[in-house]
Amino acid sequence: MSGGFAERVDAALADPILKLAVERTAGTAEAKRTLAIDAFADFEAARDRAAAIKDHVIANLGGYLERFEANAVAAGAVVHWARTSQEACDIVIGLCKAAGAKSVARSKSMLGEEIGLPHALAEAGITRVETDLAEHIIQLSGERPSHIIWPAMHKTREQVSVLFKANHRDPHTEETIAAMAESARRHLREGMLAADVGICGANFLIADTGAVCTVTNEGNAELSLVPPRMQIVTAGIEKIVPSMGHAVHMLRMLARSATGAPLTQYTTFYTGPKRPGDRDGPEEMHIVLVDNGRTAMREDGLAEMLRCIRCGACMNHCVVFRQIGGHAYGGTYPGPMGAVLTPAIDGLAANRDLPNACTLNGKCQEVCPVRIPLPTLLRGWREKSWREGLEPKATRAGIGLWAWAARRPRLYRTATATALTALRLLGRTGWLSNVPLAGGWTRHRDLPKPAAESFMAQYKKGQRQ
Amino acid sequence: MTARDAILSRLGGTMTPSAIADEAAALLVAPERPPVAMTALEETFAERLALPSVAASYDRIADWSEVPEAVRRYCAANGLPVVLCLPPDPRLTALDWDGVTLHDGAAPDEDAALAIARCGVAETGSLVFETSPEAPMLPNFLALHHLVIVPTLVAHLEDAILPGAQPRAHYWVTGVSGTTDIEGTYVRGAHGPRFLHVIRLATPLKR
Repeated sequence: MSGGFAERVDAALADPILKLAVERTAGTAEAKRTLAIDAFADFEAARDRAAAIKDHVIANLGGYLERFEANAVAAGAVVHWARTSQEACDIVIGLCKAAGAKSVARSKSMLGEEIGLPHALAEAGITRVETDLAEHIIQLSGERPSHIIWPAMHKTREQVSVLFKANHRDPHTEETIAAMAESARRHLREGMLAADVGICGANFLIADTGAVCTVTNEGNAELSLVPPRMQIVTAGIEKIVPSMGHAVHMLRMLARSATGAPLTQYTTFYTGPKRPGDRDGPEEMHIVLVDNGRTAMREDGLAEMLRCIRCGACMNHCVVFRQIGGHAYGGTYPGPMGAVLTPAIDGLAANRDLPNACTLNGKCQEVCPVRIPLPTLLRGWREKSWREGLEPKATRAGIGLWAWAARRPRLYRTATATALTALRLLGRTGWLSNVPLAGGWTRHRDLPKPAAESFMAQYKKGQRQ
Repeated sequence: MTARDAILSRLGGTMTPSAIADEAAALLVAPERPPVAMTALEETFAERLALPSVAASYDRIADWSEVPEAVRRYCAANGLPVVLCLPPDPRLTALDWDGVTLHDGAAPDEDAALAIARCGVAETGSLVFETSPEAPMLPNFLALHHLVIVPTLVAHLEDAILPGAQPRAHYWVTGVSGTTDIEGTYVRGAHGPRFLHVIRLATPLKR
């Protein structure tokens, strides 16, 4: 993940396999979601309700967190609080060390990626068994997730096959996706059953029961969390819902928006550690509530972003994401939601390109199950970047010049007419292949030859007729 | 200041607890959800089990005493040895398991595990479970064939919510362990069960 955004995009666009891989998975997801939404008559009203539930929680977040904590503690869990990713990792590593853990089974969570947990575990010398199939693939390839639902969507089956053959004890012999999944099943099962600690995130935290909800299609969360002696949950503070009834509504929205299914295959609510007489389950359950910029987002006009339930629909439908894939975004979260979140989590100065990598076509907002106004939030970052003087000098000068001219209509029209004449002189055919100051465009494609007169000039003539 | 105090000090709301409770309750009035006709619970449940994302096989018996025969029938139809991981639930252990090899802890390569769901959900085809000393969780995720007895049906997911104090784990199974992580192609049996078999017990539950 080296270089700036532009370099990463260049690399992504030059990769002939990447676009194919992204298109295969995102295309399938888009089609499946469409079918699921068409079959759900009141989906638009359901989106309103989902947004209202999240807004209600975000407005009253402090009270709900305290209630969740009290109920989780009453059920026997230990609740920890972390302001930053560093604090969160320190708590998790401290718990693992206190438990004498040599290996942890990890069920994929975006919050875990956000706080850098894989890295922290490696630094502490603790073996990490990634149990989600896609996370396992990218652990083997030493990469980061490129999508929040399908972290290995940038990998083709051929690439996965090579990785598994190089790393699995008893790899597949047949070149089918089913055989590859079977190879991973054999390989991962031992690691899951032998782990000392199971680590997961939370799709929802249920305030009135103190339960932690995970959803998976693979059942890897349950296999990672039931056998070990200790369970550790790392969850963003915005994951709260008031009750199970609210969780049910959000689950209906999440599954349909993510995979197009009415419900995820395995939906589990964990409340505290194992009870007297239970045959399985952990002796200890720890829940780490992580802020990492969320309270600041709530205060700084990004409260709507805290509605996000991490379904991935916005990126599956994003024309930019489908061209460049997830890695080019450079942060934990890619696509439209990532372009809003990454500047909030990692700072705007280093990520000011992300809000600009957007056509503002509004597709993300159209499919968002909790109606996050993503284009508006992206424009907010653009404005902030301008106000704080983060845009490059040439951009500022160019836009400044345009703004100066635009406030002087007569001058502006004269300049436009001159430019039109000049541009028409450049193009002998209908297309311009080389335009001064527009190399970024014409290096890759031609510019159409402009009309002889500007829109305003033609409009005025029309009015006089 | 502790991290807890620092976070909570920035999250104060202006509403009273009772106003918050009222608003939360109002958000649950008449939720949008797939309609389920109460007169067609059985049919709807069976239809959902047949959806590609669930793809469960389905058998129907009239009484608990028929459970062992239903298990033998399934094993024979699928060419499985008649070996079963059985939870220590008195409703099951009291049955006549002649000809079935039973064990109560699941092996890492367990072929088949039987479990009792509290109920089935017609809306989604989900099977609802809770952990207890008589209902361990791990076998239901380790076995290749997950056999589930369903004594009752409810219409919607909301109807499956357990009121009051919660067990260690409450979980909904809606299909088998599947993955679409390689090129979005669906593969069954990613980590846990590859096959789900529902044994619908059509008489009311007696305990």
